[in-house]
Amino acid sequence: MADAGDLLSVTSSDKAVLLGLYEEKRANLVRFFAARLGSRAEAEDLVQDLYLRLSGMEAVGPVDNPSALLHRIGSNLMLDRLRSQKRSGARDNDWRAINTTAVAGQEIADEPSADEVVAGRQRLQALVEAVEDLPEKTRQAFQLHKLDGHSHVETARRMGISVSTVEKHISSALKSLTRRLR
Amino acid sequence: MSRSAQHLQEAADWLTRLQRPEVEETDWLAFDAWLSEPGALEAYDAIQAVDEEIFQRGPAVRGELAEPRRATVKRAFTIDWRWLGGLGAAAAVAAVAIVVAPWGELLPQPDTLYVTDKGENRAVQLADGSHIDLNTDSHVSVRLDKDARRVTVHDGQALFDVAHDSQRPFLITAGDETVRVVGTKFDVRRRDGQLSVTVLRGLVEVSTDGEDTPVRLRPGQMLEHVEGASGVVVRAVAAEDQVGWRSGRLIYRDQPLGRIVGDMNHYFDRPLRLEGETTANLRFSGVLIVDSQDAMVRRLTSLMPLSATPTDDSIVLRGKSSAPN
Repeated sequence: MADAGDLLSVTSSDKAVLLGLYEEKRANLVRFFAARLGSRAEAEDLVQDLYLRLSGMEAVGPVDNPSALLHRIGSNLMLDRLRSQKRSGARDNDWRAINTTAVAGQEIADEPSADEVVAGRQRLQALVEAVEDLPEKTRQAFQLHKLDGHSHVETARRMGISVSTVEKHISSALKSLTRRLR
Repeated sequence: MSRSAQHLQEAADWLTRLQRPEVEETDWLAFDAWLSEPGALEAYDAIQAVDEEIFQRGPAVRGELAEPRRATVKRAFTIDWRWLGGLGAAAAVAAVAIVVAPWGELLPQPDTLYVTDKGENRAVQLADGSHIDLNTDSHVSVRLDKDARRVTVHDGQALFDVAHDSQRPFLITAGDETVRVVGTKFDVRRRDGQLSVTVLRGLVEVSTDGEDTPVRLRPGQMLEHVEGASGVVVRAVAAEDQVGWRSGRLIYRDQPLGRIVGDMNHYFDRPLRLEGETTANLRFSGVLIVDSQDAMVRRLTSLMPLSATPTDDSIVLRGKSSAPN
């Protein structure tokens, strides 16, 4: 498959169309990649990279479906990211997670105020209670996938149910938790 | 189902679909189209925010779920302790003495022993307002006397947040070291004859048997000492790394595999064993999330040149470069 960088031999008007569409789809691209990356901030980064990639294109050929092209370039950028993270032992990602945790007021380095600590604990408690109140099978699927990090397929295998049933449980868990927590 | 509940369900379905390993262009186009429906954006953003929060707080949620007693008590901190072994018997005798003898109050206060099992973390609040967070597989005893607050770290690791009380110094004994503090936050670890003290806030004074002058530690400094040996090493560290265990993470910078395996074996009953001459000396830098033993071993073998072989009673790790015995 072509690398994101060499899909192109396009006119400047096509490029203007693509950049215009980018502006229009930007927020939804962030939403899309936030689901894939588990982080809105990372998705913002990625979509910013996408803009740099687009604006750096010399020329863009006639594009059948510009929106699909945005997705394709973005997905390639995402894979590049994941690959380079794997090469460095997924470390950057984890270090970032640590730093985010500290900034989010989970104690350690900066000594958050007592209020923040209490609020953080209360929020955690609410989350834990909401998970505990899920129906048994739903809670089990949620725990295997979201907390233990197993794929949909592996979760299905462990529970002896189909992948689509696992997805129904996960989806229903997300809905219940969101209704309780937001 | 109400309209907003309907939207939330659709949004959750979408997010779940987008998290499949294989996502196609058509998924993006359909997702983009769905977002233009009224109410979809708000519903999706709410679902995604909760999903992200779960992703970030996963280890903490997991820890709470794994510990039902704590999860059911709706307080920020819980006090929990057990009497154990020889100390337990001695303390029980002291308690009886108080009952039968009017002069019982004159006896020294008994030690209270706080213990965690493998894989367990525990938050303890002391009567003087100090907090202790105990890491997995740790034993700490506490005695609050009139002239001093005395804590002994028998084994394991604990983070102390000490309430200020100038009349009663807070003294911690770990092996042949005594840590003296006024009001501060720091981590003490005693495992396999290795002691370390890491300061997060305030000033801490560490005396070692056989050394004349105590060592003063500032935030971001870690003191290391081998029990029975002379001398200590003090170096600058990222103090938050040392207390990563509180959020379910073990954080290492250029540490030998032997140390990491030692740490992991305090979390799980089934031991990891190292085979091959050089295996224990393989170096590791990175973050290990503490979850299931299998998942941790899988991650370790993907990050290091290691193979893992389960046996009946253990898991054997072997460096890929070292020849089999």
